[in-house]
Amino acid sequence: MIDEMMRFIRGMKNYLKQYRNLETEYPFAKLFKKFQNILAANNASLELIADMGDKLSGEYVFDRQYILSTYDNLKNQIYRLIFDLNTLAPGKYVRLFDVFEEIHDTIQQAISGKWVLPQGDAAMPYSELSQDMYELVGNKNANLAEIRNTLELSTPDGFAITTSAFRAFLEKNGLDEYLQKMMASWDPEDEAATEKIAADIQNQFLCGGFPLEVTRQIQGAIEKLQEKSPKEALFFAVRSSAWGEDSIHSFAGQYKTFLNVPADQLLDSYRKVLASAYSPGVLSYRYQKGFHIHELAMSVGCQAMVKAKASGVIYTLDTLSAGKDVLQATAAWGLGAPVVDGSVAADQYRITRTPPHTLSGFNVVHKSTMMVAAKNGGTAVTPVPEELQQKACLTPELAQKLAETALLIERYFKRPQDIEWAIDSQDRVMILQARPLNIQLPAGCPKDQIDISAADHPVLFKNQGVVVQRGVAAGKVFVLENNADILNVPYGAILVARHTSPRLARVMRKVHGILTDVGSPMGHMATIAREFRVPAIVNTGFATQILKTGDEITLDATQNIVYAGYAKELCYDEITAEDVFEESYEYRLLRRILRKISPLNLLDPHDKNFRPSGCKTVHDIIRFIHEKAVKELIHLGDTRIGGSDAASRRLKFGIPLGLVVIDIGGGVLARSASAKDMSPEDITSVPMKAFLEGLTAPGMWSTEPMSVDFGSFMSSLTRTFSDSSTRFSGRNLAVLSAEYLDLNLRLGYHYNIIDAYIAEKQNDNYAYFRFLGGVTDVTRRSRRARFIGEVLERFNFRVEIRGDLVVGRIKKLDPAAMYEKVKMLGCLVAYTRQLDVQMHSDENIADHITDFFKGATNHDIGSENNRITSG
Amino acid sequence: MTSDQKTTVLLLDDEPIVCKRLKPSLEKAGYDVEAFTKSREAMHRLTEKEFDIAITDLKMDGMDGMAFLTEVKKRHPATEVIVITGFATMETAKESYQKGVFDFVAKPFKLGEILEVVKKAEAKHRPS
Repeated sequence: MIDEMMRFIRGMKNYLKQYRNLETEYPFAKLFKKFQNILAANNASLELIADMGDKLSGEYVFDRQYILSTYDNLKNQIYRLIFDLNTLAPGKYVRLFDVFEEIHDTIQQAISGKWVLPQGDAAMPYSELSQDMYELVGNKNANLAEIRNTLELSTPDGFAITTSAFRAFLEKNGLDEYLQKMMASWDPEDEAATEKIAADIQNQFLCGGFPLEVTRQIQGAIEKLQEKSPKEALFFAVRSSAWGEDSIHSFAGQYKTFLNVPADQLLDSYRKVLASAYSPGVLSYRYQKGFHIHELAMSVGCQAMVKAKASGVIYTLDTLSAGKDVLQATAAWGLGAPVVDGSVAADQYRITRTPPHTLSGFNVVHKSTMMVAAKNGGTAVTPVPEELQQKACLTPELAQKLAETALLIERYFKRPQDIEWAIDSQDRVMILQARPLNIQLPAGCPKDQIDISAADHPVLFKNQGVVVQRGVAAGKVFVLENNADILNVPYGAILVARHTSPRLARVMRKVHGILTDVGSPMGHMATIAREFRVPAIVNTGFATQILKTGDEITLDATQNIVYAGYAKELCYDEITAEDVFEESYEYRLLRRILRKISPLNLLDPHDKNFRPSGCKTVHDIIRFIHEKAVKELIHLGDTRIGGSDAASRRLKFGIPLGLVVIDIGGGVLARSASAKDMSPEDITSVPMKAFLEGLTAPGMWSTEPMSVDFGSFMSSLTRTFSDSSTRFSGRNLAVLSAEYLDLNLRLGYHYNIIDAYIAEKQNDNYAYFRFLGGVTDVTRRSRRARFIGEVLERFNFRVEIRGDLVVGRIKKLDPAAMYEKVKMLGCLVAYTRQLDVQMHSDENIADHITDFFKGATNHDIGSENNRITSG
Repeated sequence: MTSDQKTTVLLLDDEPIVCKRLKPSLEKAGYDVEAFTKSREAMHRLTEKEFDIAITDLKMDGMDGMAFLTEVKKRHPATEVIVITGFATMETAKESYQKGVFDFVAKPFKLGEILEVVKKAEAKHRPS
């Protein structure tokens, strides 16, 4: 496979070399065709990426074949892009082949099921881990990392000693063969023999030496942590995280944990944790469950000790009567180990699962002793201070916070959870570990009766809109009336909004579900909803009309139904489902390869990293190529002016755009062919006419008096516009034909690209709008992006916002409707000119939207479905 | 369900994930589902039981779905067959319809989509 590709790439490179010499002979029209190919492949690839992302919602049934063929398709588009760019700029970007090859290799490895353990990674910080890496760090570490990095909850700092360190340790000490030999001679039924074998194996582990590289890396990880708090001595909790641990076979409590281990004794404790995997108990358990000895790979978590005021365990369901709708917590002062093994008296709390999570019952016991971290390492049992002995470890507020945190984790992993937690000195809830709680379905609610019990609840609406993320949530409705309301969204609400909007991302951790009237499953908000696995349905058409703030509803985004009232059975059904989609191989594979595909790192073309070697993902490559293709085309426009194959002239009209027009066929009246300049009347290109109409619409190109900092803004404008010393130095270029427009504008601080095609055949029509800003401060930038994103969404564009990059796409409208869209883009370009300086506050966004729509409506451009009346 | 007896569905796809996701979803909607990833086993089951509805993939290892659906229709003409496939071509679609297939759904599909089709097939199979 790889050989074949290398041959292919070499062939391509050689083929491209011949272009280098032919540059001058290639007619502009032909090169422009290449440019159009690039745009087409660019759009096709972005659509494939969006399509794959959409599949993560759970709404689709897709198989491995889908992943293979879609990626294959994407791969071909990327080759085509790289190839065409290198034709446009002969041989200039050949390096992209190597860059893509590297990305492709990683993806190919994931697809072929190989999980090549990263070389040399014996120790890895939690901040660099994810759930996908369970083979490397074990389930417990992987889950904890996900809780920290994706859910952004507080967990102790630390690192994992990986399974590759474990393997290196086995190899160094010849333990592989030793274990094989011992197991071959072991009679599992003979208890005395089991004791003996276990003792021998454990002894071998305890005496084992470490490979130098492993020691070096662990030492490095400790030093990095030490840098964060240079004055304090570091102590660790050292916990096992083996393959298969915390799955259905929990091995719970069978491996050892060491608390408050001084940094210089960490390696010793690590060895002891490894040895604990060969205790007589574990050997027998593994034998009974049918595990082979080679299936054991042990990773270990090293967490900085939490200075715990109180600790304990919380179950997200009541293990005795799961139908009671409460979480169950136990708590004691100090460290949590004795709570887990039941060796001290601990408080019991029952907290309602329904927000606001009040205490529905508790039993505060007399607590005479507690476990604390000893000064020089290890733990000690000490008396509880007099005044705390009768006092509850959890206040109602802490209990509420704990419940919120635990349910966030439950929703994410879609399983009831068994969580060890601690309250630190600043009253923060720290998650020490979380694992699925093995529990039966709520009593009295067998599977096939679930629909019947849900049937008690009236259906408010069903099969409206598009499911963005499956899942079930019961809660009170909060209708978002205006932007400022976003701050008032209560915890646990089902958020109901008119539009999907990136700003909803801000409350994603708070809300339990999302419904919108309008919106697409591809936007930024959808991505975030999937990331946090918040059940969400968009584009329902009328959710805000049917639902009122305070209504109690159940949002079943799995079956696309909204019920009145709390259908609790459905919620339980979700967390007790036989198979969790997010745990299926296909989901994990798709998510894993998308990590190398969809993130966009190359945002700023002026960044020094904006070059082939800076491309980390497929999306980066696509973005890079698009940017460079435009640049190369402008360059060609500059150098080919006066040639016989393209007519390139300046467009003169009321607005100082400094626009150079290149006609590639039928975009300009023939009579103007010889003149140096042309006027808007000479334009015959349909999309260009639409754009100019919008751009010059009265009231859109602001003539307001300028505010103080408008001066600097203006100077940047003039720099672009009035630079007449070189004839075609501007970045403002329009390439057009009778039906086509490709416009590249640098306007003040922004960079706009509009690419549109309008002809009779509806299916061919499209408009693509891209906005990239820069320079101003980040807050203003994001306000500006939000403004543009919202306007585009309201005009039914499919919108993606990443940082300051806004991309809007719309297609397959009839010529008249598409004309209106492009005209609106003209208005938008004119209007956004003023935005850099005027976006002083969030409220401005709403004002500007109202203002913009007022202007647009005056010019007969309404967004047909969503004409708004107020901000 | 409208009658006491649940509508029976045989599901055949060699990709386990398809069965894994489709089966619970159909069961939730009230169907009695048997899922197979091996066409031989599904074929054998046909000799023992007549299903109201059969859902099958077209392209599988070992045996192609076209042969399977031919067999289903031969044995139990009343069984409504729904084809699910990731390799939809005009030819295979045409051939399927000629063999009396009820509907043809391209993979990947939405769960709601396939449920709609199954519901329609059910209505045709047992008109109320």
